[in-house]
Amino acid sequence: MFAFALRRALWAIPTLVGVSLVVFVLTTLMPEPSVADGLVSPNAAVRLDEMRRSRFLDLPRFFNPAPRDVRVRIEECINHIVRNTQDSALCSHRLSQIGGAGLPFILPQLSRLPVEERSKIIEALAPLARRMAFEAGKLSPDSATSLKFWTHFWDDHSVDFTGPAVRREVDRLVRRGSDKREADIRVLDTFALEAILSYMHEDTPRESLVRLSRLASHVTGRDSVISESDDVAHTRVVISDWKSWWYVHESDFTVLQGGPKVSASIGQTRFAKWVLGAATGQLGLSARDHQPIVDKLIAKAPHTLTIALFGLLASITLAIPLGVVAAWSHGRTIDQITSALLLVFYGLPTFLVAQLLTSLNRGTSDHGLWPAAALATVSLSVMTRQQRASMIEVLAQDYIRAARAKGARTLRVTVIHALRNSLIPLVTVAGVQFPALVGATFVIEEVFGIQAMGWETLRAIESHDAPWVVAVTLLCAAVTTAFLVASDVITSLLDPRIRERQVQRAFRS
Amino acid sequence: MNHPRQLARKAGNALAALLVAVALFADCLSSDLPLIVKVDGHLQIAPSLTHPAEARAPADSAPTTSSNNVCVLSALSRYGPDTEDLSQRLQPPRFASGHWFGTDRYGRDVFARVIHGTRTYLVFALAAVGLSLGLGAIFGALAGFFGGFIDSVVTRLIDTISAFPPLVLILGVQAAVPQASGLSLFFAIALTRWPETARLVRAEVQHVATRDYVMAARALGASRLRVLRNHIAPNVRGQLVVLGALGIPAVILVEASVDFLRVGEAATHASWGETMSQFRDAPDAWWLLAFPGALLFITIAALGFVGEARRDALDPRGH
Repeated sequence: MFAFALRRALWAIPTLVGVSLVVFVLTTLMPEPSVADGLVSPNAAVRLDEMRRSRFLDLPRFFNPAPRDVRVRIEECINHIVRNTQDSALCSHRLSQIGGAGLPFILPQLSRLPVEERSKIIEALAPLARRMAFEAGKLSPDSATSLKFWTHFWDDHSVDFTGPAVRREVDRLVRRGSDKREADIRVLDTFALEAILSYMHEDTPRESLVRLSRLASHVTGRDSVISESDDVAHTRVVISDWKSWWYVHESDFTVLQGGPKVSASIGQTRFAKWVLGAATGQLGLSARDHQPIVDKLIAKAPHTLTIALFGLLASITLAIPLGVVAAWSHGRTIDQITSALLLVFYGLPTFLVAQLLTSLNRGTSDHGLWPAAALATVSLSVMTRQQRASMIEVLAQDYIRAARAKGARTLRVTVIHALRNSLIPLVTVAGVQFPALVGATFVIEEVFGIQAMGWETLRAIESHDAPWVVAVTLLCAAVTTAFLVASDVITSLLDPRIRERQVQRAFRS
Repeated sequence: MNHPRQLARKAGNALAALLVAVALFADCLSSDLPLIVKVDGHLQIAPSLTHPAEARAPADSAPTTSSNNVCVLSALSRYGPDTEDLSQRLQPPRFASGHWFGTDRYGRDVFARVIHGTRTYLVFALAAVGLSLGLGAIFGALAGFFGGFIDSVVTRLIDTISAFPPLVLILGVQAAVPQASGLSLFFAIALTRWPETARLVRAEVQHVATRDYVMAARALGASRLRVLRNHIAPNVRGQLVVLGALGIPAVILVEASVDFLRVGEAATHASWGETMSQFRDAPDAWWLLAFPGALLFITIAALGFVGEARRDALDPRGH
């Protein structure tokens, strides 16, 4: 039994891959950010670059033949600055942004460059030196003095610019924080960023989190810090903000070597970054209220899914007795009355039912079970018909006639003999109907004013918050797939023959 | 086959025919332009179609010609679906005022909106169903007939699209495209609906392809295309008709829901869902909900009946 469930679940993986592809195509439909998006500030190009990168638009779609790491980025920047192209201003900015992580690739070759080019690069490094908190006196505009400063710096500190040393430093800071240690790490600048962010999680003591976020914010210039007085919720927001930022910008500060370099051809692509991000909960920030989308989903989605599930249960509990009664009175008046009733339910649109129900209880804010009742009308008709048809089929079987001949009463025949077999198609229909119910829940939420996932989605569409809609689409598809798996497993519990048939089918295809 | 069922079926057919008639002759039922005018002694029939520029021109811009125009026959209701009259906002239905179904919040006549909405919805649903049937038939036939790699790709595709709740996928598409419009809605609906057709066609083709007469035709040297066209297609056609007939009310329902949720640009064309959505802001204006809602209900029920009748005609076992 367990083996079947596992096999069925594995079978859903290709579907999930397909789902992620479809949603990825949706994200590529979204308009790319452009300068026209209300950016008039002088650093518009930088902001635009940032917006593009947060959606991985700087990466190729499916295959990256030459993944870029900090070394490549530094070389490109130096090239641009040296040749004085039109991007050189942007590149100077980038060079200081990459900061300490790039120093191992800049400083050793600095003395080899011609004087003029060297002074340009040293000029670009000035903001970095200020960030590292060196006194202005050491940084004269005189190129020779500055060169001497950087050469000395590298002689003194090149030992610190290694992975293990940095991790040890940060580890010490986390365990026994002191201002001295914080200043030491500040000198390493962004080179320590990977270690700093790896310690940023909720188990770290608050005092260390304050120091770590202060460091990270100092070296990146991002205004996202935890202070002593912040509550847990804000801490969570800041941590997830840093995580998603690192997810986007990791390749700016780390070196790709060996295995990671090979896998980066696949990993450093728009699709892979997006899929892995979605799978690990890095869905980004909502464009509407700048909250992490994952947190919002966790808060809102259970409510919506509960309503949908209640609607499904309500229609199942109504459909079974209705279908059984209709099947027993097949062709008689009761059958005709129920089918007329079902016709009414079939023709009634959900939103109309919901709107009528809200109009009836106007003035009350507590809707109780009405949303589920309105939702039940969506699939009641289909399910009752299915139940009636399968019950008629089962009742015509020989073993039912045999049970009747033995003298079993109608109720006993129905409940003990016929019902279990007639339920199998209903379970399948329930699995198929669930997606429709989730969609209908969106409508119900809007009409009843329930502020759950569907309501949020409609507000998001109004304010062009595409990341949220994309995340919701992905989540709904994943939930539906899980539901289909569950319905298959339940079906196979009810009927072992189906299990065998499906296993054979899985093997054949 | 019992009597009431037959009766209901006839009623469904009659109502469906009536809806099509309403959609076709919407301009005769309600239009702000006359149907027949006498211009300088000459009769012009349906000037809004034959001379659109002149007919649409405001009367005061050409006073000399308008005095020569004599309206011979006007539409049943003298309001068009897009005629806004802000002084007549949210008027309740009153026979004397000419607004038989009342007016909406822009002062547009609800009767005209509802009548012209029939046309909008039927045309839209026919087109969307047509596209999804076409796509589904092509993919399903390819998968069922050739099998192997094509089959597994198409099956995966079908599984993938069916994993999305249809309304959620439609909302997702409408949110992702730069400009959500009726056209994107059309493609989104077709996208969510083709797998149903493809699945059925694939199963049917697989089933028929193993029959003796198809084998015989192949053995006689008929090409694959010929077998598909002459021997397999006739078996699938009936099922396609049923799917199409049942698909139209489903598409109408989805479109009305999307309009009701006010997704995308504000609907300029006459639409039942848009009229009903105004009820949410004006909960005392019951006519905004009642008339389009009743027509939507009748449409879905009637077209559903037509579809079921087609299905039962195909399946002689009956239920």
